[in-house]
Amino acid sequence: MITFKNVSKEYTAESAALQTVDLDIPTGDFVSIVGQSGAGKSTLLKLLSAEERPSKGEIVIDGWDITRIKRWQVPHLRRQIGVIFQDFKLLPKRTAFENIAFAMEVGGSVTTEIRETVPQILKLVNLIDKSDMYPNEMSGGERQRVSIARALAFKPQILLADEPTGNLDALHSWDIVQLLIKINKLGTTVLLATHNDDIVNALKKRVVTLNKGKVVSDVQGGTYKL
Amino acid sequence: MVGISFVRVLRNALRNFKRNVWLSIATTVIMTLTLLMMLFLYFMNVLSAEVLRGIEQKVDLSAVFKEDVSESQIETLANDIEVRADVEEVRIVSSEQALELFRQRHADEPFIEDALRELEENPLQPSMFIVATEPRFYQTIAAALQTEKYAPFFEQINYDDSEPVIAKLITFTTGLRNVALITTAVLAGLVVLIMFNTIRLAIYSFREEIDIMRLVGASNWFIRGPFVIEAVLVALLSVAVATLIVYPTIQGVSPKVGRFFFSGQVEQFDLYQFAVDSWLNVVGLQAAMAVFLAVFSSMIAIRRYLR
Repeated sequence: MITFKNVSKEYTAESAALQTVDLDIPTGDFVSIVGQSGAGKSTLLKLLSAEERPSKGEIVIDGWDITRIKRWQVPHLRRQIGVIFQDFKLLPKRTAFENIAFAMEVGGSVTTEIRETVPQILKLVNLIDKSDMYPNEMSGGERQRVSIARALAFKPQILLADEPTGNLDALHSWDIVQLLIKINKLGTTVLLATHNDDIVNALKKRVVTLNKGKVVSDVQGGTYKL
Repeated sequence: MVGISFVRVLRNALRNFKRNVWLSIATTVIMTLTLLMMLFLYFMNVLSAEVLRGIEQKVDLSAVFKEDVSESQIETLANDIEVRADVEEVRIVSSEQALELFRQRHADEPFIEDALRELEENPLQPSMFIVATEPRFYQTIAAALQTEKYAPFFEQINYDDSEPVIAKLITFTTGLRNVALITTAVLAGLVVLIMFNTIRLAIYSFREEIDIMRLVGASNWFIRGPFVIEAVLVALLSVAVATLIVYPTIQGVSPKVGRFFFSGQVEQFDLYQFAVDSWLNVVGLQAAMAVFLAVFSSMIAIRRYLR
């Protein structure tokens, strides 16, 4: 369970990225977070991965209050939360396999575990035949799938997807969403921040709409409405 | 887990070193120069202390006995003088020992040996060498030997005032030491600057990896460790290079140094032997200085560019 209690984030005294947000996200939920640019979608996700700290309020993940998380605890938190981005953030000089292995190495996994797990994850994202390809040899959709595979390396409880389809065409976007649904069905809580109304409407899942940093609607089985 | 992590951090450090190999080499060179300067300072201190000790302990006051002075008289006189508070040691050199020393000193001058052979009797008289507790006492002791009590027994009293030499030497070594200290400090400053830039560039060239490491939950040690270890590797490489330069150099100059500073001394100070005996100090001193400079400069770069 993820809980936002009265959370605000102010970057400057004049501009508030988030204002008194109250939100409960049960484990295994799939939540689309929608809103215009600057509505606070990315900030909401960054607070969960402790890239940003809230100015006010409290954030709790499965009983762990991460509001005032210590610096040394951040890596531990991040190994429980997978994050994917619009620009994929892959290492261009490493193959698909190596990009995922790198994340596992960094996290301290032993070599035998890496050799066993990476092919399994690549199979899950349907890229097992492209494990030796470099990012520039892949399509945008494939790159995003590698990025998702990397996020799954530690079997995270939560997956944060920040505009994952922003750089992809409709076909590839839908491909990625299908993959997110599959991951969600395996028990991972998915938070999807997006602009893509077609995807949100087709998902028929919970939709949280943000406007100027405030939650203006929170509807189960909702649609994209600004 | 810790072991795996350390191996990976070490591997990343080696990769950092290779990725900016020319900069790494430049840093190693400047670090080596700093260590060499520091070692020069170290050995200069040792050498000047030995030279001073040698001068201070050198027999500055000698008195040659008259031919008719008996062995028992010589012994009584030596005991009498040795009890003086300003006398450290009295050494008697018999006429045979004096001849032997004379021969040794002129071993490569064959005509002297020929001349000695022609003389049937030993031309050298026994003598007494006096070491004072402090160089400034030689004048007083020499004056005492010229009083009525002792003068009848001596044919000749030789006395060199070494105090001005010592004073000059101290001034010279102090000057040289200051120059070496300033040079070492300047080089150390350069090392910090260059090392800082090396690490800064390494951080820059690894920024993508670092971003992703953070994203996937790498520990601070995993992210920062390679840069500190890279700096320590440069430091240790410099220690090895400096040591490989210093020992053969000392081995080469040691005989000349010995001849120049310690000729005529019974126990000649061997700089190379000293360097070999104190290798732990030599390497330890370098390692401490190099690792300190490396860790200090890399930590500044990391704190500034890897927050």
